[in-house]
Amino acid sequence: MTGKVEFSKVSKSFGTVKALVDFDLSIEEGELVTLLGPSGCGKSTALRVAAGFEPPDSGDVSIGGVSILAQSANKRGIGMVFQNYSLFPHLTVTQNLEFGMRVRNIAREKRTARVGELLELVRLSGLSDRYPHQISGGQQQRVALARALAVEPRVLLLDEPLSALDATVRIEVREEIRRIQRASGIATIFVTHDQEEALAISDRICVMSNGKIEQVGAPDVVYRSPSTEFVARFVGKVNDIEVEVLSSTKARLRGHKHEIEIASAGTGGGAAGGGAVVGGVARLLIRPEDVQIVRTDSARANARCTVKTIHFGGATTTADVEIDGTTHLVRIADSTRNMQFRVGDAVHIAFDTERALLTRGGAA
Amino acid sequence: MRRGRVGAWLVLFIVFVYYLVPMISMARFAFQRILVFRLSFGNLFDKWTIDSLIEFLKEPEFRSSASLSIQLAVATAALTLALLVPTMAVAHLRSKRMRRIIELSSTLPFVVPAIALVVGFAGAFRETLPILIRSPFGLVPLYVITALPFTHRAIENGLAALDLRTLVDASQSLGATWYRTVMFVIVPNIRASIATAAFLAFTVVMGEFTIASLLLKNTLPLYLSYAQGQNPQGAFGVGLVLILFTTIFVASSNRLGKVVRT
Repeated sequence: MTGKVEFSKVSKSFGTVKALVDFDLSIEEGELVTLLGPSGCGKSTALRVAAGFEPPDSGDVSIGGVSILAQSANKRGIGMVFQNYSLFPHLTVTQNLEFGMRVRNIAREKRTARVGELLELVRLSGLSDRYPHQISGGQQQRVALARALAVEPRVLLLDEPLSALDATVRIEVREEIRRIQRASGIATIFVTHDQEEALAISDRICVMSNGKIEQVGAPDVVYRSPSTEFVARFVGKVNDIEVEVLSSTKARLRGHKHEIEIASAGTGGGAAGGGAVVGGVARLLIRPEDVQIVRTDSARANARCTVKTIHFGGATTTADVEIDGTTHLVRIADSTRNMQFRVGDAVHIAFDTERALLTRGGAA
Repeated sequence: MRRGRVGAWLVLFIVFVYYLVPMISMARFAFQRILVFRLSFGNLFDKWTIDSLIEFLKEPEFRSSASLSIQLAVATAALTLALLVPTMAVAHLRSKRMRRIIELSSTLPFVVPAIALVVGFAGAFRETLPILIRSPFGLVPLYVITALPFTHRAIENGLAALDLRTLVDASQSLGATWYRTVMFVIVPNIRASIATAAFLAFTVVMGEFTIASLLLKNTLPLYLSYAQGQNPQGAFGVGLVLILFTTIFVASSNRLGKVVRT
């Protein structure tokens, strides 16, 4: 039986370091929520608190409405996959898969049948008699996932399970994890510092910084409408452009005559608290794909630029352009078909500020 | 390169001679029925016999002292492992400070002489727990301490080579208790170190003389020392056999370590 997982005001400190501060999050049954943030932001601590490896200083963690804090780690019914290869080196794949079932005194016939099902699920049926050192890193993590599922956990915790794998295998195993998680319907918490991984795998992303939640939302929402400067910077690439705020709807590139429409820009943590003030200097945080190349005579053109560098990326291309008369470098990204120019070409760009963020202060 | 290789062989040869010459001398004294002052290169292969050894092995006192030493060695190895493995595993998991304290404590037998250990031990337990002084098995805790510098290092190496935190967390997340985790996850993964520690504890006990002598326990080393006056050839023969056994023990523990690691 699975259930909704809830963290309620969970705090945890290590000495003077606050790893988690009033951490509130709920994960619905069958949902995959990713805790995303830089190293030391508290994401793994949240996972370890849920798993029972670290007691919280305050707050509660519940599954299906029942607090699990009083239960020891081995009684919580939580499956976990670790960053480091965690298969028991002295046991074969089959014996690793059977470990949790043996602990639960499950009959041999049932164990054998379950191991067969799990090996099929992770597509490793031919490797049942191999030892961990005889299979690849990607295969080891798939076995670790199967082992965690073998005990039919109520919740699945994945602590950076892909970080030790190379790029190609990482994508393959990531897709496997998503497929298996959907098939099993278990509430899953996935921890990573890789924003691309988080965007690709999650139902929702919880972006964390310094032990606190910055934003929780669907991947497209977090990417498209970051609610804080930290989220804008951490999830995806962002241009940081200094502007002078002329009115509640207009701003001007600092030291430049062209005006930018800012009426629909988000205000994040800064402006929401009275951040960008009319007449003051602010920073416009805008994604490269929200800066577009436009025709010279377009009414939307915000600035004339010179192309400085071009980064061909297959289907998409990114380019760094310098706004003429300034030293502002702006990165733009678009499909390769729309990026037909060379280094040194003059182009006009327009800022689509609907998903941009306007925050107080000069450039960092 | 070639010069270095020659140097290495030379060092090996010197070590070999340094080790082998006393062994050969001991073997000749124990197993050749020739008077000592007549032993020479000329009669190197003459009159070899193990009669004196057989005679020695038949002595009831030898049997009882050997039996006691073996029992003490087994008990020491068992107690050492029962104490060290879980304690050091916990120290590895929870406290670097505790690890350092254990490491420091394990070197104490190098600086605290056996006689001081016995005096302290006897003084502490003569009144409070006299059975420890009376029973030969009272030697076991002292032997555990004496063997600690060797046994600790062997276990420490095994634990340090493991990602213990992840293995223990994985085991517990699968529902295993601490006991099950130790017995079915930690122990099998450091079995080479455990075997080495057990062999080392065993050999330390089989050769320990001072503590047994001070506490008046008739262990094998004590009997060998006493019997040198009665049947010196037999005593030296047994000594040689013990050295050979010890060498085979240590070599097989190293071999076992290699097999487990591959």
